[in-house]
Amino acid sequence: MIVLAVALDLLREARSRRWVLALLAAATLLVVALALGLRFEVVDGALAATRLFGGDLGTDVRAVDVALRPLFAATAYVVFYGGLAFGVVATADFAPTLLSPGRIEALLALPVRRWQLLAGTFVGVELLVLGGAAYGGAAVTAVLWLKTGVVNPGPVAAAAVACVAFAPVYAAMLATAVLARSAALSAGAGLALLLGGIVAGARGVLVELFEPGAGRAAFLAVTAVLPRLSALGNLAPAVAEGRPLAAGHAAALAAGTLAFAVALLALGVDRLERKDF
Amino acid sequence: MLAIDARGLAKTYPGGLGRAPHEALRGVDLAVEAGTAFGLIGPNGAGKTTFVKSILGVVRPSGGTARLLGGDPADPRVRARVGYLPERLQFPPALSAHDVLRSVARLKGLGRAGPEIPRRLEEVGLAGAAGRRVGAYSKGMRQRLGLACALLGAPDLLVLDEPTDGLDPLARVEVRGLLAREVARGATVFLNSHLLAETERVCTRVGILVDGRVVREGRLGELREGTSRWRVRFEPGAPEAALGAAGFLPGDAPGRFAFEGEPGALNAALDRARAAGALVVELSRDAKDLEQVLADAVEASA
Repeated sequence: MIVLAVALDLLREARSRRWVLALLAAATLLVVALALGLRFEVVDGALAATRLFGGDLGTDVRAVDVALRPLFAATAYVVFYGGLAFGVVATADFAPTLLSPGRIEALLALPVRRWQLLAGTFVGVELLVLGGAAYGGAAVTAVLWLKTGVVNPGPVAAAAVACVAFAPVYAAMLATAVLARSAALSAGAGLALLLGGIVAGARGVLVELFEPGAGRAAFLAVTAVLPRLSALGNLAPAVAEGRPLAAGHAAALAAGTLAFAVALLALGVDRLERKDF
Repeated sequence: MLAIDARGLAKTYPGGLGRAPHEALRGVDLAVEAGTAFGLIGPNGAGKTTFVKSILGVVRPSGGTARLLGGDPADPRVRARVGYLPERLQFPPALSAHDVLRSVARLKGLGRAGPEIPRRLEEVGLAGAAGRRVGAYSKGMRQRLGLACALLGAPDLLVLDEPTDGLDPLARVEVRGLLAREVARGATVFLNSHLLAETERVCTRVGILVDGRVVREGRLGELREGTSRWRVRFEPGAPEAALGAAGFLPGDAPGRFAFEGEPGALNAALDRARAAGALVVELSRDAKDLEQVLADAVEASA
């Protein structure tokens, strides 16, 4: 209950922040621009032509749901990585602000446990990112549905997957903020883990770039522990394109990612429990 | 019953990167009776704020124990009965005073707190600004809001760190009245302030913290009167030479004298003065103000 109260407080604070509102407004403007600029000519369920701001994109005449799959897949990628970027930028200073002198003392003197503060902040930020990504995904889906009559679950699925992928990213940001109360360091840690996670997701391909030896071993060792964020990011486009998904593989990816997030959160809680304010 | 019971409370901040460890509290023993107003005073860096934070669990003590309202401060049920106003309080700037109080009410387990929120805002003089963003508040308004947060839920113990900081003189009078009402209700008020006049007006007991130790503690009257200096006023025309011989020191106005000594010596000196023809018209103990008490305590502990 307390965790939820802290999370809802964070969402109220986010709702009142100009920075967060500006990011959502920017996303809305992009969708509106897309809605105004993109035209499809659908004849009897087939896509006859596609125009972006009046320019013909040179598409073949195909069934519209098949023809638009690459577009939905690309949209899913945009929602996934856009959601993660939105998360890092919009939420970097939540934890440092929460831990700021004069505020944290008042919170710790309330009947709230330290872990509840951290868990509440984490849940609040996850809900914010889920909301932001879902808003973008749903808006694009709605625009494409209105233009073509086709509904594709890819962009919305991408929002849910982005929320899972953001869990370790924000856990790293939170743990960093507990260690050193700085929004810049917190965002830096999140971006570093995001990049590491993108590399780790493609480690099977990238490892070929390393000569056998210590370098390759080090690369494999480092990327072995990182969450496979780019592999996770490929799930939603697969849904968008109607490709079959190995449920076990997807579940393992999500579970590993969430386990990594829980481990980082535990580290943050441990540091917070020992910290004086 | 004790509202605050600290025994041997110690806090050493670890050093690092060439800094030596800092002993902020060196075994503080302090007991505050429930239903009283207690003031903790001391010079800057004496450890007052560290003491307050230690008893609330905001700072982890290095040694000793602290109990609040008979329970462990780490227990949320105990902290639910405590209202705390920290020094340099910060609020989320985008929220309104009403939002802040609703958030505190939820975290205190008071639900929506219903009519209490407008009542508290009225009490601290913020009813007219309840809907404004806290970021646009002046320092004094933020302080008032912090006080309203501390008062929410009618806590049994109020721990206030510099509560009148940033307030204008009229607001200070209002806060004093508010704290007096809280004590009359049965709450304990623990005041940590460097404004000695405030402490003197609000508190009945005072502790003096110097260099991490409580060097004096007791009823305000006892601390102020813990002196053997007396003020005596004689009728005009009293023989000054005879008074000087009896041990009276000339004061700051004609007819006014001071005497240093225990009551027995004072009576003997008065007998000699009267025998010389002097008439006593006023006699009082030369009570020190709190500033002097603090200065003496700091000097004695040096």
